[in-house]
Amino acid sequence: MSEITLQGLEKQYGETIAVENVSVEITDGELLCLLGPSGSGKSTTLRMIAGLETPTEGEISIGDEDVTDQPAYERNTSTVFQDWALFPHKTVLENVAFGLKMDGVSEDQRHERAREMLERVQMAGYEDDDPTNLSGGQKQRVALARSLAVNPDVLLLDEPLSNLDKRLREDMQIELREIHEDVDVTFVHVTHDQDEAFTLADRIGVMNEGELIQVGDPDEIYENPKNRFIEGFLGDTNFVDGAVRSVGPDVVTVETELGEALTVPIDGDHDLSDGGELTLSLRPEILSIDRTATDGDVSETSHADERSVLADGSAVDAVVGTIDNVLYRGSTVRYSVSVGDSSLFVERTDTTEESLSVGDEIRIEWNGSDVLAFRPDGTRVGN
Amino acid sequence: MSDANTHSDLAKSIGTALPSLPNPSELSSSNRALLLMAPLLAFELLIFVVPFFILLRISVTEGSDDTVYEAGTWSLEAYAEVFTSGLLRDVILYSFQLGVVVTVLSVVIGLFYAYAIWRSSGIVTSLLLLSVVMPLLTTLVIRTYAFTPLLAPTGTLNDVLLSLGLLSEPVQFVPATVGAVVGQLYIVLPYAVLAIYSVMATMDWGIVEAARDLGASRPRSFVEVVLPQVMPGIIVAAVISFAWSVGAYAAPDLLSNGITFAVHAEDLMLGDMRYSLAAALSVVMLLAMLLGVALISTVLNRFGGDFDLA
Repeated sequence: MSEITLQGLEKQYGETIAVENVSVEITDGELLCLLGPSGSGKSTTLRMIAGLETPTEGEISIGDEDVTDQPAYERNTSTVFQDWALFPHKTVLENVAFGLKMDGVSEDQRHERAREMLERVQMAGYEDDDPTNLSGGQKQRVALARSLAVNPDVLLLDEPLSNLDKRLREDMQIELREIHEDVDVTFVHVTHDQDEAFTLADRIGVMNEGELIQVGDPDEIYENPKNRFIEGFLGDTNFVDGAVRSVGPDVVTVETELGEALTVPIDGDHDLSDGGELTLSLRPEILSIDRTATDGDVSETSHADERSVLADGSAVDAVVGTIDNVLYRGSTVRYSVSVGDSSLFVERTDTTEESLSVGDEIRIEWNGSDVLAFRPDGTRVGN
Repeated sequence: MSDANTHSDLAKSIGTALPSLPNPSELSSSNRALLLMAPLLAFELLIFVVPFFILLRISVTEGSDDTVYEAGTWSLEAYAEVFTSGLLRDVILYSFQLGVVVTVLSVVIGLFYAYAIWRSSGIVTSLLLLSVVMPLLTTLVIRTYAFTPLLAPTGTLNDVLLSLGLLSEPVQFVPATVGAVVGQLYIVLPYAVLAIYSVMATMDWGIVEAARDLGASRPRSFVEVVLPQVMPGIIVAAVISFAWSVGAYAAPDLLSNGITFAVHAEDLMLGDMRYSLAAALSVVMLLAMLLGVALISTVLNRFGGDFDLA
């Protein structure tokens, strides 16, 4: 009974619109991540669910109950704050027991429950400590225990991991996942870190400039982003600008600054016409690279031949370029390759392969059906 | 070359000329603290401790019919009178009553005023702070006197209350204890507000939100989270208000018929020429106030921990 429905939610501060027309249904027991850059309205949305902000317009219901006008203390939601907001004048145990104290639970019972929760988050033994003396990770655990102690219908997490260092953050992500599976509470988790969202979420809602652009399973969002913003935000990609040269039945040919005409398969209806502007997205993981044959004759003739049609009807495209930068990133090596008047970056994970260096000429190859195309207004072509 | 030599010789000679000055880095931190405090200690000794011992000495002399006190004599008669005189008992009691009432009012009003400043933003914060500091820019006597035309039977407040029909006949707010309380409150309130606000300003509003999020109503979150944290400021505000109000002089003198010990001590010295009794009264009041201040901070400190209303 703890699904959350947001209907046309809007929040304005004076002239500034922080959140605009957000509608989403969060199902009982799921872990939804609100993902977006800072200032995208994700925290404001979370605070409206908590009751810490009053929406300018729209409705919020939790379970069957319309809670839009309910103050925070009457809602059975519980928030883990970014800076944890532990009570500095209370002990760790009193912090965790605080919510139960507000519910009128007797001291013995609430302390027993608080001890259980501290054990659950591996903080047993810190009961009488002053929370101000704890490390960031420990404060995080106490804050989590404090929020879970009241047995909330909904747990709201407002970037709780962003103040932790990378290693600890990754450990806590896995622990959060486990706790979520354990407690059967609906989680709404706000983050600006796409890796965190992919690690944690059952579903991801991507927000930008106050609007909830797309909600879906992590793979669906990644594979089928609704617009150019999401494609760019979810991971590094090569955006290549171009203009339509010719429109075929289910394929368009695009003239690009890479100096080659690229073919992009398009399914379904589209309104493209000759000369229309397009931006193509070539993610590094769809690009495979190879050293070109040093024999001039072969590379001269290769381009036209490479554009072969595969069995599923999609075409393989390829360009040739020169490496002008090599960036070692630990498990991967990133190459910046100048192609035509532009450049592409490609990545290689297997560093045991023959090393490539600046000045090497390489061939970059991909399957045309993996390329996504976006109109100038950012909307996706096809689908 | 020769220039450089002259300079280094000069430096050497200065170094040997001042051998008694210790190198600052060789001082232990407690010694350095003592050194830094020296001017203050000297000032306190000269302005407070020495005069206090003179006062103490006068309080144990015999009274005299010809002069203000009989120098060189030893007697406890002044103390005996302080503890037996009905008039003095009333004066002491009145001083403490005024002190307690003003302290309670100034802490309560100061707390809410400071909370209002804390929760406000932008220009409102500046205006609220400015209106606290503003009265401090006027001299104490003038702003205390100003209450006479405001509170007198024919004054502004009575006019307003009469015209609104809230009163059928004028009330004498001054000269009366009400006037003294209002006047003294107006004197101490800015200090109470600033003492409490300075602590509150360092607090994180997030913990109040966390308390509300966990089911604490507005008043409950104030009692559970704001009050214990702001207690150091409340203690300072209470001590300032209490000490100043028990020893109040201007407000009761100008606005009340009641006589506080400060007003009475002046009468004893300048009117009756009884220095011994005035000094004994002052010593007794000083000790009583110290006791009061100790009591305030002990009690409030105890509440500084966890309020348990459950």
